[in-house]
Amino acid sequence: MNAVAEIRDLRVEVDGRALVDGVSLRVTAGKVTALVGASGSGKTTTGLALLGEYPAGARVTGEVRLPGGPAGYVPQHPGTALNPARRVGALLRDIARTRVRALPRRERRAAAHQRVLRALSLAQLPDPEAVLRRYPHQLSGGQQQRVVLAQALLLGARLVVADEPTTGQDALTKQRIVDRFAAVARQGIAVVLLSHDLDVVRALADEVLVLRDGRVVESGPVDRLWPAPRRLRTAEPPATDGPAELPAVHGPADRTGLPGAGREVLRVGGLTARHGRTTVLRTSALTLRAGECLAVVGRSGSGKTTLARCLAGLHRGHDGELLLDGAPLPRSLRDRTRAQLAAVQYVFQDARAAFDEHRPVLAQVARTAVRLRGAAEADALAEAVSTVTGLGLTERQVRRRPAQLSGGELQRAALTRALLARPRVLICDEITSGLDTVTRRGILDTLAGLLRDRRGLSLVLITHDLGTAAALATRIAVLDGGEVVEEGPARRVLTSPEHPFTASLLETSTRMT
Amino acid sequence: MTGLASWTARRLLLGAAQTAAVVLLVFALTEALPGDAAVALAGDQPDPERIAAVRKALDLDRPAHERLLEWAGGLLHGDFGTSLASGRPVSTYLTGGFGPTLLLASLTLVLLVPAGVGLGVLAARHEGRFTDRLVSSVTLGVYAVPEFAFGVLLTTVFALRLGWLPPTAVGYGTDLLAHPSALVLPVLVLLSRPVCSLARLVRAGMIDALASPYVAQARRHGVTGARLRYGHALPNAIAPAAQQLARTVDWLLCGVIVVEALYVIPGLGTVLMNAVAERDVPVVQGLAVVFGVTAVVLNLGADLVVRRFAPRAEVAA
Repeated sequence: MNAVAEIRDLRVEVDGRALVDGVSLRVTAGKVTALVGASGSGKTTTGLALLGEYPAGARVTGEVRLPGGPAGYVPQHPGTALNPARRVGALLRDIARTRVRALPRRERRAAAHQRVLRALSLAQLPDPEAVLRRYPHQLSGGQQQRVVLAQALLLGARLVVADEPTTGQDALTKQRIVDRFAAVARQGIAVVLLSHDLDVVRALADEVLVLRDGRVVESGPVDRLWPAPRRLRTAEPPATDGPAELPAVHGPADRTGLPGAGREVLRVGGLTARHGRTTVLRTSALTLRAGECLAVVGRSGSGKTTLARCLAGLHRGHDGELLLDGAPLPRSLRDRTRAQLAAVQYVFQDARAAFDEHRPVLAQVARTAVRLRGAAEADALAEAVSTVTGLGLTERQVRRRPAQLSGGELQRAALTRALLARPRVLICDEITSGLDTVTRRGILDTLAGLLRDRRGLSLVLITHDLGTAAALATRIAVLDGGEVVEEGPARRVLTSPEHPFTASLLETSTRMT
Repeated sequence: MTGLASWTARRLLLGAAQTAAVVLLVFALTEALPGDAAVALAGDQPDPERIAAVRKALDLDRPAHERLLEWAGGLLHGDFGTSLASGRPVSTYLTGGFGPTLLLASLTLVLLVPAGVGLGVLAARHEGRFTDRLVSSVTLGVYAVPEFAFGVLLTTVFALRLGWLPPTAVGYGTDLLAHPSALVLPVLVLLSRPVCSLARLVRAGMIDALASPYVAQARRHGVTGARLRYGHALPNAIAPAAQQLARTVDWLLCGVIVVEALYVIPGLGTVLMNAVAERDVPVVQGLAVVFGVTAVVLNLGADLVVRRFAPRAEVAA
């Protein structure tokens, strides 16, 4: 097999700290090589080295060779690599133009256009002519990813580096992304996959390198390393999502005994929510009981976040009636009393965006108690410290600013902030997506602990991932296209789904593992 | 595109309302000035009887709102009314003054856009290095000098000391194009500050755009040089510059009084000055209508450009 890229003993050092230390790697045509590791393990630095890009001020030693020519790059968020002010066709045309310089001048235009169309259809984009005329924001995330892939194909790249292509995607979408990259590899193009998603790695990769702290700790063909790479298995707990765990729904589900044992906390009458004139969500009555965890599961765009925002008073374009402990809850946040605000708390997906970057985390966390419960500043700080240490952070960490905390640490701080309001209902909106397996596991354990220790706290867990739901939920509501297609006790929904959509979600999440 | 059409229509309606408000305000302010056209016409010997006679002849003794309504009624038929001072139709004042102003504005604009954008891109390309520091400090310095001071300085050096250029446009009438040398200094003065603000805005936008992931992606795929800078980075830097440009053109078209006065150019600014001095209310109102419509149309144009180059904004709106 001919190598299209080779890295020998690469060491990248910034300010005396090695991001990557002694990594060697050989990529062959038509094969998928996966670099696996938690965030900060040096995956992205290695991947970018293949593109000849290094962090600012980096000291680089070792050798990176690309006998196969330039490499294409599919970033984690493909939308950021597309120019918001230009139609999709603009860059594709310019790339194609660099490839047809040999032709006579008058034939170039038509030849370039042909190449663009061919690349788009190789990237499995239907109706390429229409896509060319769109702006990036008019494309879905999947289409954006395929456009970026088409750019690489157009360049004639023999190597494509894909950075976390499946992060934050639901099971069905993940399956499609895996198929897409498998198709690329079948065309004889080498794929370097940077991922912390072991299911995807297993489904896609031929060779696996496990990285930790910038070093390769294990490597080999995927078959030899699985069921799970030894280093990952021994050092870290396995992923929570997987069919192996689906039937074994214990703990939370059994904790409340009979379904409906707790007192009713939150009740939503039939609810129709709109964005502008489009109806995005229609539900029948939903109830949340004390001590219960209701998981709202669905693909992106199914209306699950809208439902959560309606409950929290962040979206008032709906006509449903909300009852908290039997008393009506105003639709808008602005009309709710402090007690009502405290009772329903929201934790957002992007913890970093939910903190002010200029103030220490602890001060922001403690503020909830002062604002919503009228606690004294000193008491609030003391309570914040004790709660935050209970969730596995140290006081020293939270005295820093948000930039110095990792995504998982910030998410714990965000949870603490919500808990200081002493809420009855805690809404967690995709709070584990975008985190690596280990961190996700830790957060889910924390949530399970909260349900166990804090009597009277109910959880609304918004997630696209059935695995996450299975780990915590007492009841599951499945949303598709703005409708609740199925709702029931978690065990029943997971073991004998009634609606075909639930079944297909279960099936894909099984196949992915 | 129906969304765009209805948005444009709403903007135009709003613009009409804004223009009407401007006219009302200008009318009220002119009325509030001490004296009126009759006093101005009466000249150095203000004889109360003569003033009263003139006032009656000019219909100035009628209540203000009646005069305003009558004038507005005429406007609906395209009639701007007649000047109180000379009895000539207001439209002749407007067309006469518009020629020189438009000429100055277009010349300035033709030089302004390439110079401002070019300097901005040049500075952004060399961010933090000598070229950038030179461009940035010179533009900041020039921007700090007001037009009249810069105009006096240029006139002193190039017209009076060196004698290369005529100091004013006196004696050339409204046909300035036949005497290009008279235009050099006014255009330079008009250019001075807008070039600086435009260059600085483009520089800031370009620095962001050049550091963006999409420009990195284009670079990775072999798109380099001028095509990268002007084709892929610049469109993202255009939105703020377009709005600044609309303000500049508005300022140019509405007669830059200081520059016209300094170089004695018979443009709209000069017409406005004279009309206010003579309390010639219909001419002032006519100018207010022209200025209002110009401002509305230019800002609408700028917003359309911004929509084109920041298309995501329509999602949020």
